[in-house]
Amino acid sequence: MVHTIIDDLGALLLFTMILIVAAGQIYRAIYAVAAQSLLIAIAGGVLARATGNVDLWVIAGVTLVVKATLLPWVLHWVVKRMNVRREVEPVIPVAATLALAVVIVVVSFQLSASLGPVRQAITGNALPVGITLTLTGVLVMATRKTALTQMVGLFASENGIFFTAMAVTRGMPLIIEIGVILDVILAALVMTIMVLRVRSTVDADIADLDRLKG
Amino acid sequence: MIGERPLGLVLLEMILLVLLGPLVTGIIQKIKARLQCRQGAGVVQPYRDLTKLLRKGTVQADTASAFFRFIPVLVLAATVAAGALVPVIRAGPPAVPLGDALLLLGLLALARFLTAIGALDAGGAFGGMGASREMTIAPLVEPVLMMVVFSTAIAAGTTELGALAAHHGTSSIVAWRAADFLGLAAMLLLLPAETGRIPVDNPDTHLELTMLHEGMLLEHSGPGLGCMVLASHMRQIVTLGLVAALFFPAGPADAAGAADLLLGAGVFAAKILVLATYLALVESSYAKLRLFRVPQYLGVGFVCALTALALRIL
Repeated sequence: MVHTIIDDLGALLLFTMILIVAAGQIYRAIYAVAAQSLLIAIAGGVLARATGNVDLWVIAGVTLVVKATLLPWVLHWVVKRMNVRREVEPVIPVAATLALAVVIVVVSFQLSASLGPVRQAITGNALPVGITLTLTGVLVMATRKTALTQMVGLFASENGIFFTAMAVTRGMPLIIEIGVILDVILAALVMTIMVLRVRSTVDADIADLDRLKG
Repeated sequence: MIGERPLGLVLLEMILLVLLGPLVTGIIQKIKARLQCRQGAGVVQPYRDLTKLLRKGTVQADTASAFFRFIPVLVLAATVAAGALVPVIRAGPPAVPLGDALLLLGLLALARFLTAIGALDAGGAFGGMGASREMTIAPLVEPVLMMVVFSTAIAAGTTELGALAAHHGTSSIVAWRAADFLGLAAMLLLLPAETGRIPVDNPDTHLELTMLHEGMLLEHSGPGLGCMVLASHMRQIVTLGLVAALFFPAGPADAAGAADLLLGAGVFAAKILVLATYLALVESSYAKLRLFRVPQYLGVGFVCALTALALRIL
């Protein structure tokens, strides 16, 4: 039963990831990543119920509050505050990114299928889905020009790692999870401040910072 | 284990689809009108349009060849034949082997091809443009539809739609596997493209330069146009029926009594109604995509379908 639910959630996670890759507007990418975090929180709740691990309940709750609510809200606020162009500016066409995403999906499934006995011990499709989310998040980071969409990619990537860790270990020690969450919050804050400062001083974005000095 | 559908029932279902096709269009138009705070025409308006068209005379372009006259009939025949392959009232394979989902998609593709040929044959600028656009979009839509069919067919071990629907059984969404979610997502993305609606096509206008399907109908008139319009109603309900057969539990599989058949028909009507409402909502809440953005939109569907397939196989 848990296997099926985690599998289904994995499919929905993949769907949100496809939406993030295909999003033409920043707001849509933000909503998609919020939905993804919500699904991660639900997966945490399901696993917590199945294993009776209290830590997982805490983690699911923290994920719900921080990653599904707080961080998307911060991103939303920054987009509003900065008055940036609402369109996502990709380095390579979105269709090409989608094609690369397909390659990533197939490769992750193929790789984890070759793991054989290891995969048997892991809940459902969690491992390939987690790897896919992580790599696709990196892909989004690499193929977007503006810092905000790169942040969305980072969060998606982080979601992937989180999902894998949760499903593989059936609940990591609470202290590690809390540490990871704090890292994400910190990263989001630092990047937000960076983006705002860079923008207010030189009116440039990440794509313009391509020359080394000195 | 599964009761077969006798040939009589299959034919009855096909006729039912032909009769109900315009009604679905009427319902979608009504919902759209209501969403725009208009009263809107009645749900039987498409029937009135059809009877009006059938009474009118035919005018044909001088440049059109003799083949042009047969196009509407052939298109309608191909689409209606596709209707025979969709299980409506109850699941289960037909007693006489008729064909599977691939044949259904093939017949729809044939109808599309004939429509485009007709539009080119008449020699009008609009028709040619509509045909070229339609043929640009079609190769993006059809493979994805096939992949969605395959992703479901792999689980059931057959591409016969009745048997597929029976494999799903009467159980509810609880029985869905992971791949079904992605398959349905791909299908919902493709539905507007296959039924010629916003955000891919605009069914309401004959003037806009962005239109696909309507542009190809411009040269037809009278009963011929009636056939073409009926065929597009039919294509719509057949596509909706395909989605219903692939993803939603069908009516009772081993039903024999009249009560069970009525129940099956009611369930089918409910499923079609839900999907029609979905189409109306999408059409009311989105703008038409620029033609060059359409491949990207369909690409999302492609990726979803491929991922569904990957989830099934790997």
